[in-house]
Amino acid sequence: MSAVSPFLDPGPRTTPNSLAVAHLSRDSIQPIYLKETSGTTDGYAEGPVLNTRFGSFPHSTLLNKPWGSQIRASVVDTGSRGRRLKREHGEHVADGEKLDNSKGDSTPGTTSSRDLKVAPSGFIHILPPTPELWTISLPHRTQVVYTPDYSYILHRIRARPGMKIIEAGAGSGSFTHAAARAIYNGYPKDAHDVKGKVFSFEFNHDRYQQMQKEIEDHRLDGIVQITHRDVYNHGFLVDNESPGAECVFLDLPAPWKALPHLARNRPTQSQLSSSGLDNLQDTGSEWKSPLRPDRTAYLCTFSPCIEQVTRTVDVMRHLGWMEIEMVEVAHRRINVMRERIGLHLPAGERGSTQTAANVEEAIAKLQEVEGRYKTSRGQSQDVDIEMGEDDETAVENNPIDGSKTTLLSSEVEGAQSAKPWMSGRVIHRTEPEIKTHTSYLVFALLPQEWTEAQESAAFESWPCGKERKVIGKLDKEARKQEKRELLQGKKRKKDTDSKSEAERPLSKKSKTP
Amino acid sequence: MHSLVQPHALVALKLPSGNLRVLEVTPNTTISLGKYGSFPSNLIIHRPYHLTYELQDKQPGESFNRLRIVPASELYSDILSSGASASALEEETPVVNEGDDADNAMSTGIEYSLVDPESGAVVARTDRVEIDASARQTLTTEEIEALKKDGTDAGRDIIAKLLLSHTAIDQKTQYSLAKYKLLKTKKYIRRFSVLPMDVPMLAHWQLEVKDPSKILDMRDEMIALLGCWANVHFGGEDQCENSGAKGVDSREQKGFESTAGRWLVVDDTGGLLVAAMAERMGILYSPENEAGGNHKEPTSPNVGQKECSHNQKAITNQEDLPSGTSKEHDGSTREPAPEHEDSTEPKAPQSTRTSHGEGKSRCNDLKVPYASSNTITVIHANQQPNLTFLREYGFDATNPAQPSDHPLASHLMTISWLQLIKPELDPTYTSEMPDVSPEVLRSWKPNRRGTYHRKRRRWAKIRHVVDTTREGEFSGLVVASTMDPISIMRHAVPLLAGGAPIAIYSQAIEPLTALADCYSIARRAAWVSNPPEEAVGKTPLELEQWAGNEEFPLNPSLVLGAALQTSRVRKWQVLPGRTHPLMTSKGGAEGYVFTAWRVKPAEGKIEARGKARTRKRKLEGSTQE
Repeated sequence: MSAVSPFLDPGPRTTPNSLAVAHLSRDSIQPIYLKETSGTTDGYAEGPVLNTRFGSFPHSTLLNKPWGSQIRASVVDTGSRGRRLKREHGEHVADGEKLDNSKGDSTPGTTSSRDLKVAPSGFIHILPPTPELWTISLPHRTQVVYTPDYSYILHRIRARPGMKIIEAGAGSGSFTHAAARAIYNGYPKDAHDVKGKVFSFEFNHDRYQQMQKEIEDHRLDGIVQITHRDVYNHGFLVDNESPGAECVFLDLPAPWKALPHLARNRPTQSQLSSSGLDNLQDTGSEWKSPLRPDRTAYLCTFSPCIEQVTRTVDVMRHLGWMEIEMVEVAHRRINVMRERIGLHLPAGERGSTQTAANVEEAIAKLQEVEGRYKTSRGQSQDVDIEMGEDDETAVENNPIDGSKTTLLSSEVEGAQSAKPWMSGRVIHRTEPEIKTHTSYLVFALLPQEWTEAQESAAFESWPCGKERKVIGKLDKEARKQEKRELLQGKKRKKDTDSKSEAERPLSKKSKTP
Repeated sequence: MHSLVQPHALVALKLPSGNLRVLEVTPNTTISLGKYGSFPSNLIIHRPYHLTYELQDKQPGESFNRLRIVPASELYSDILSSGASASALEEETPVVNEGDDADNAMSTGIEYSLVDPESGAVVARTDRVEIDASARQTLTTEEIEALKKDGTDAGRDIIAKLLLSHTAIDQKTQYSLAKYKLLKTKKYIRRFSVLPMDVPMLAHWQLEVKDPSKILDMRDEMIALLGCWANVHFGGEDQCENSGAKGVDSREQKGFESTAGRWLVVDDTGGLLVAAMAERMGILYSPENEAGGNHKEPTSPNVGQKECSHNQKAITNQEDLPSGTSKEHDGSTREPAPEHEDSTEPKAPQSTRTSHGEGKSRCNDLKVPYASSNTITVIHANQQPNLTFLREYGFDATNPAQPSDHPLASHLMTISWLQLIKPELDPTYTSEMPDVSPEVLRSWKPNRRGTYHRKRRRWAKIRHVVDTTREGEFSGLVVASTMDPISIMRHAVPLLAGGAPIAIYSQAIEPLTALADCYSIARRAAWVSNPPEEAVGKTPLELEQWAGNEEFPLNPSLVLGAALQTSRVRKWQVLPGRTHPLMTSKGGAEGYVFTAWRVKPAEGKIEARGKARTRKRKLEGSTQE
């Protein structure tokens, strides 16, 4: 069995004690930890069972299946289990004891995965976990960072294999999983093996413990390191060592309070006071920046309110962050369906509207109604006036009337035989409820430090003043100069006469604005 | 990605106007920024990215403009002073106090600030300045030109003079003054910053500056969504590093432990999609030489590349390069990617087995330079794939004489649709070079011998790519194509492993709605309850290759969770008291993403459970997908 997280490499099949995702329907996705059958579990003779509204699925039917398999529901005795459990707990239940007994005798111990009966209906699909599926299905602890947001954030903060990323406010862990996937480039083989890593910080102790457990369950230790920490006051160092992060994601109520800890150097008194912050606590020790010194650091903060953004951006400017940009992500899911409109459609069918599909149909309908009205009126007139002309009107009206009704009825028959998944027009519309606002994303970056010494060293090794060529967009002067040199070179070669040479650059010059 | 600008690196220079200038930093040249001036390229080589520079005035006796790094405090000074909160930080009006006339006038006369909506920097405020003149702008064109020519102080004095000479400056409101100042600053301030040409920048450049239709109008958020939904990530180190050529069936044994991360890509964006996916997998950039070796030899850029190749080998751990072969290959210049990579298990055993144990050189001809995991397989519609943008990252897919130190050389495979669907019709695939005994080979002219080896290697490569691709079991499918997605899915879905995610981008929604409709609930239910006549009695394996008919263009049971989404990022201006979304942004194709998973349907008839009422209802309305 591999020790690699199922998020990173699920292998070809489902394995025991590993996370899998049961896909029930589009919006109903359930994470399960598959366990091997070990006798009666939780009152089930079949071992652990996943119960869904589409049937019951003993884990043994889900194990060692290729990912993506469609699994049929099994016949599992769910009814007697509760009663038996109750009885075992000493609550004697008189009702249905006989039934209980008979069932209880037949099942325990004897049922193995082989003689599980397949239920007549119901199925699920079993999928390998991904951060996307996990985000849909995870147990909510805080506001979740959803896929449209975290995908964009990770793209923008350049989280790539091998990077170190700081995440403060682990929250429900959706971003943690996505970040772990983004920076993953193998598990560290030993203490000195440096691989991509997520340094996660969580203030809330309960959430910290839950996250810790999740990381273990998902076999992400070594890739995600979570620390229980109040980052506002205690910063981002792990065991007093710098994580050396290139990317930072802050999902905190007050990101500006954490920002001073993310500086390259100790923020000056004026920087802090001007941004309305208190002094950093640990003034004694030497400053250690949690950022990687020889890289640009990319930062994103995630705040729902505009006031938080204003404050954050202000502090960012004081602390020297560059390229500050605030965006929001508007994401919509789109439903695709078939729209069936027409008078001939059978009544009561879902997704169909019984109105005229076009003008012709409307006219036909009107004619039909009109005709019927006429006949009925004609008949009544006949009754009233008792004239002998009713034969004539009947003859006149009936053919039209008759033909229309037969036409319509034939269409109805046709529609009934037609496949509903083929008829109508394919349309799309936005899902009924959209998330109009998740949070504002503030992006910024901090270039690496560049000292005078480094600059002069670089200037030493890359001396200037011997430029031979001009690249980029040339200004008029440079373009002229280049042309002149070019022509002079030609002149030396071909010894062309000087008059034409003088004309050429002139004409060229007049062309270019 | 390097932390410092490397010689010959492609960088984007961002100008005050917000324009991008993309160029290769050739050492010992002058980089011209047009009207903003010019500077020696050596001044940005081996300097960090993202710094903002200002062009300084030429120093006496020097023929070039030196650069000055503009500190953030200076860039933001105006904004910060305008902010209400900025009371303590009283105008650290940094640097540049040479006692220039204009500067003095400026600082005593007006206090202004400016906004750059791009970077979210600043806006204005002013104390009145009394200037009496009749015209609005008293400076004449000649005077402005003269100022531009011998203006100093990175263009600040010309801006100040322009402002000072504007007669109606006191009639301007705070905002219009800010706008005016900004306009002039954008025009004259001689600043720029150096940005790395990574995938987001490349996409941005193509989208905003170049031709967005070339990349199918694919915005950052779409690239990000595609990568995430297709679960593209580092796919594991090469598992076959030790197995060598003998491990023909080693895959079967390994199979239960881990799967190779292999992704299938259909890319009509000129390589942008491939680049983005490669970036996610960590195979886009040549490995850096951490030692910083070319600090010492600034003038020889090749040093870096050589070192890279060492690193590359160290990373892939595949130094199975018999010394004899490399020498032999050195003779021919058009050598395809050299075999520093070990062959992965040959997927065409019948063809390779014959040559095992025979002459070393021939064996190596048949060695394939491809990794077996963490790979991208691109399916292309033309004879050659269009992966132009990969050149920005030092990789040319069409050039067989590719330096093999680039990770893409061993992790990117290309295959045409013909080779995939009907390999027997592809001339390269079918034209196996016969084995030639070493004696005969030696008797040939070097030229002929070279051609023989080249063709044989090419054949072996294609054979490997086609066979491994047709074998399937890919970890995911990513598509950004102009082709009909239904036809792509018909052939690509069977190649995916169970549970593999699918993500398809389209500029317009119509192709994707048509695709999603193929997987509608009603159709899925109908496929199970009354399958088409052609499908009756077929095995699931045969049904995977379902060719499609009018009612069922695709086998709807192979894909789960078909869904459509779109996303758009909206930028804001954040300034003290003036925070709002930007007034305008780019339109164009909206862009949509289709996502789904490849699944394996259960054999036999399967009934959904749910609230099925009438028979007719159940047909389309069974609650289970």
